[in-house]
Amino acid sequence: MDTLLTAEIAANAPRYRRKSSTFIDGIHDVTADQDMAPAQLYSTMSGRLFHSGRIAIVMVGPPARGKTHICVSMARYLQWLGVKTRIFHLGDYRRATIGPEGTVPEDYFFPNASPSSIILRQKILKKCREDIYAWLNHENGQVAIYDAVNPTASGRRSLAKEFANHDVQTLFIESYVDDERILRENARNVKISSPDFAGMDPDKAAELYLKRIEMRIPMFETMNEKELNYIKMINAGAKFFYNNVSFNYLSHRIVFYLTNLHIKSRTTFFARAGTTAEGEDSYKSDGPLCEEGRAYAEKMAETLFKHREQEHAEKVEKGDHAPLRPLSVWTSTRLRTVQTADYIKDKGFTVRQRSQMSQINPGACEKMPERLIRQLYPDEVEKHELDPYHHRYPRAESYHDLAVRLEPIILELEREQNDLLIIAHESVLRVLYAYLMHCSTMDIPFLKFPRDEIIEIIPAAYQNEAKRIHIPGLDPRVLVSSPGFFNGTPSAASLSSMLATGTPTGNLSGHVTPNVDGLSSPPDTSVERPPEKVINTAKDMVADKVDDED
Amino acid sequence: MPSRTNGVGVQVEETKICVVMVGLPARGKSFIAQKAQRYLQWLSIRAQVFNVGNYRRNDAPHPTADFFDMNNEEGERKRRVAAESAIADMLAWFRSGGVVGILDATNSTKERRKWVMDTCSSNGIEVLFVESKCDDEDLIMANIRDVKTTSPDYRGQDPEQAASDFRNRIKMYEKVYQTIDEGNGEDEYTYLKLMDVSKQVIINRIQDYLQSRIVYYLMNLHIRPRSIWLSRHGESLYNLDGRIGGDALISSRGEAYARKLPELVRQSVGDDRPLTVWTSTLKRTIATARFLPSHYNQLQWKALDELDSGVCDGLTYQEIKDRYPEDFAARDEDKYNYRYRGGESYRDVVIRLEPVIMELERSEDILIVTHQAVLRCIYAYFMKKDQAKSPWMNVPLHTLIKLTPRAYGTEEERYEAKIPAVSTWRGKGSTAKHENPTPESL
Repeated sequence: MDTLLTAEIAANAPRYRRKSSTFIDGIHDVTADQDMAPAQLYSTMSGRLFHSGRIAIVMVGPPARGKTHICVSMARYLQWLGVKTRIFHLGDYRRATIGPEGTVPEDYFFPNASPSSIILRQKILKKCREDIYAWLNHENGQVAIYDAVNPTASGRRSLAKEFANHDVQTLFIESYVDDERILRENARNVKISSPDFAGMDPDKAAELYLKRIEMRIPMFETMNEKELNYIKMINAGAKFFYNNVSFNYLSHRIVFYLTNLHIKSRTTFFARAGTTAEGEDSYKSDGPLCEEGRAYAEKMAETLFKHREQEHAEKVEKGDHAPLRPLSVWTSTRLRTVQTADYIKDKGFTVRQRSQMSQINPGACEKMPERLIRQLYPDEVEKHELDPYHHRYPRAESYHDLAVRLEPIILELEREQNDLLIIAHESVLRVLYAYLMHCSTMDIPFLKFPRDEIIEIIPAAYQNEAKRIHIPGLDPRVLVSSPGFFNGTPSAASLSSMLATGTPTGNLSGHVTPNVDGLSSPPDTSVERPPEKVINTAKDMVADKVDDED
Repeated sequence: MPSRTNGVGVQVEETKICVVMVGLPARGKSFIAQKAQRYLQWLSIRAQVFNVGNYRRNDAPHPTADFFDMNNEEGERKRRVAAESAIADMLAWFRSGGVVGILDATNSTKERRKWVMDTCSSNGIEVLFVESKCDDEDLIMANIRDVKTTSPDYRGQDPEQAASDFRNRIKMYEKVYQTIDEGNGEDEYTYLKLMDVSKQVIINRIQDYLQSRIVYYLMNLHIRPRSIWLSRHGESLYNLDGRIGGDALISSRGEAYARKLPELVRQSVGDDRPLTVWTSTLKRTIATARFLPSHYNQLQWKALDELDSGVCDGLTYQEIKDRYPEDFAARDEDKYNYRYRGGESYRDVVIRLEPVIMELERSEDILIVTHQAVLRCIYAYFMKKDQAKSPWMNVPLHTLIKLTPRAYGTEEERYEAKIPAVSTWRGKGSTAKHENPTPESL
């Protein structure tokens, strides 16, 4: 069905996400499974939400208007909500059709193009549209995002008509920019990594690039079609015009999301909360930090400060003299996370408590040894192992419940313009991380965030990237991994040993007491960690995907 | 001019927003203002509507249309004074900790808006203009008939005459009305412009998350007729024991209620149109909803689960008082804010219910089968109940509540199943297993 696209992506992406990796943003993956999404509210037989039928979101706008960024962010949010969404970049199809050696004819975007260019154009459009229909008709897709220039009103009208004939609603999203500064910034950020502009002054290159677009796409009509559903996003969200011919849940949702989206680059850091004294580490007791926990809080903060200063110094060295971005800190209302931020607060940073960020509720099984859970709730254990993301132990929250509860946080996360440090329980970090890096629901309960690392997530137009920052010199007692069973599932390693022997092994209870042989639970070496240093920065990775006129 | 653009360094807690309504009379401004106030207050964001008309009525209780003629100097002066007093009161209210003030007036000229803008900005308050623009004659007329003929301005007058005078009043405003427009030099303002019942919307320069939330909420409002039905689950085994929380099954009387519910619903709905049913994920609500017609769409929401009582889950109030005497007292002191150890407060429940409310606003006929505390929260939203009182409200078992939103408030009807059940209401300080609600809790 989508062999062309899949093959094309595999051939073109320098580092196509390995299936096993959760540290490369999976937003462009084609999902193979029928899992429910992280924050999906309902499931239905068709796999589509009942609110709306099938929808084509059609992007409108010349290059350098941030269309790719909007597409990707929107897909991230919609998939998170459980709307089966896929992006179809017309540029991918053009490249696949023309081949790596071929060139796009000069008059390709001209209204009076030569017959051969028109035929080529139609051939490419046909392939892309066939894939869109295949996605919507045969793969239970609900939303197809069609990323192309779509420059003319007549073209858009006939597109909407064609989709309507296939029983697909169309929503156009135009990114309209007349602010020169934004245009130049966009052009500088992604486009000029192309070899065409190598060695050129960035401002000059940006200007040349924008001129080139104007020449190649001489005719562009901004949207003004009263009979079409469209959102016009003006100057990267300064203003929205929304023409809502047919009332639709998803389009409102999208507007809400887009009003919080911005295109400035900023970093999100994740850190764990410190540890509490033994016996006070349960969900219900909500105990304060112990001494090692307080020491951890201080070391974590100092590591982060140092890291930020280093990064900033490196930038200055490279000629980027932007000041160090301010840092905001969010914690949950749980005592441990609040106290972990105290050290940072004392340094004058703003700390906000968010009740939605409380850890996952472990329910009735908290602190129960696994053996007992298996005895008391054999059916539940079986269900849990089949679907650790959605299954909920008696009186507990599932990861899915947690994700739904975190949705307002996701939107504020998009809006935040300062760098952001989130101090939270591992379960909350898993879910937020999964949003930013688009992990499969099957992976989320198993993600590991050891205390000796701060995770840094750097956003980019095409995909986000994750890095880890080591916190040196920590007391080994704070490093024991977040205790097991109620948090999600037994770790993958213990599961496989369980399968091998038929009986549970190791210490999977809520207690973090040492094992019989005197060792505390060893750090699980089988878990994947993000790369220390990302060699391919996002910009390089996608240079070939965004440097031309999609 | 506001210097803080697009939220740099702005924290919701520090933000103060003046929502300034804009539009001709009979465009649903007051409806929008009331709804916004109710929604924000329910979320514990201090919000207050300041209706300029109410201030003007102190001076001119029953004016005729020519009072609103812009050439009528006396009328013009009085209306200006009314606007000034409303804003002065609003500023005082902001100083006392208000977060979202809603200025409900026509604010129909560019000059007036600039004056509001400058006054607010110089006091460190952000301004969000919300304009409702509508040219649909039928809709305007319906609005005039429904709302305005019951307005205090026309009390005791012939409705026909009142409507005609009111139409003349609108004409006076139309002469000077200027819509918010970038051509008017208002491009730097933050505004939401709803045109023809939200068929077209312009959103300009949203500055922070709270503003985007208000805008999203207002875009989800609709005025199609519908009702919401609320019911608690049938009497549970824990109810019989006077225990809180848990995931108990329903008693035999609760079972009888579940069997009676379809008939009760049919009687209340009046026809065969299907409802969408929302339950919690707990056994007692699912069991209560299980005899409803199969063509009703049923959904389970985790967000509708009962308030989590943490360490006190499964205890009776006497046991709570014995084991956690300080907590017991603290909860009765401030029931809305008290968070059970390892559990939730009413405030927490409201936060987790917010997506449910957003869905409710957007949807049409819905039946919700849920729990006492959750039902109190949803009820408080629609009926505008005070936070200090709503946790003490009596919500009897085996009773179906029908809420129908109207322009200026919500209508309520109750249907009793006439199947006996224990009372789970509890008065302040009491540890009784079951007691009868006092009159003020009703």
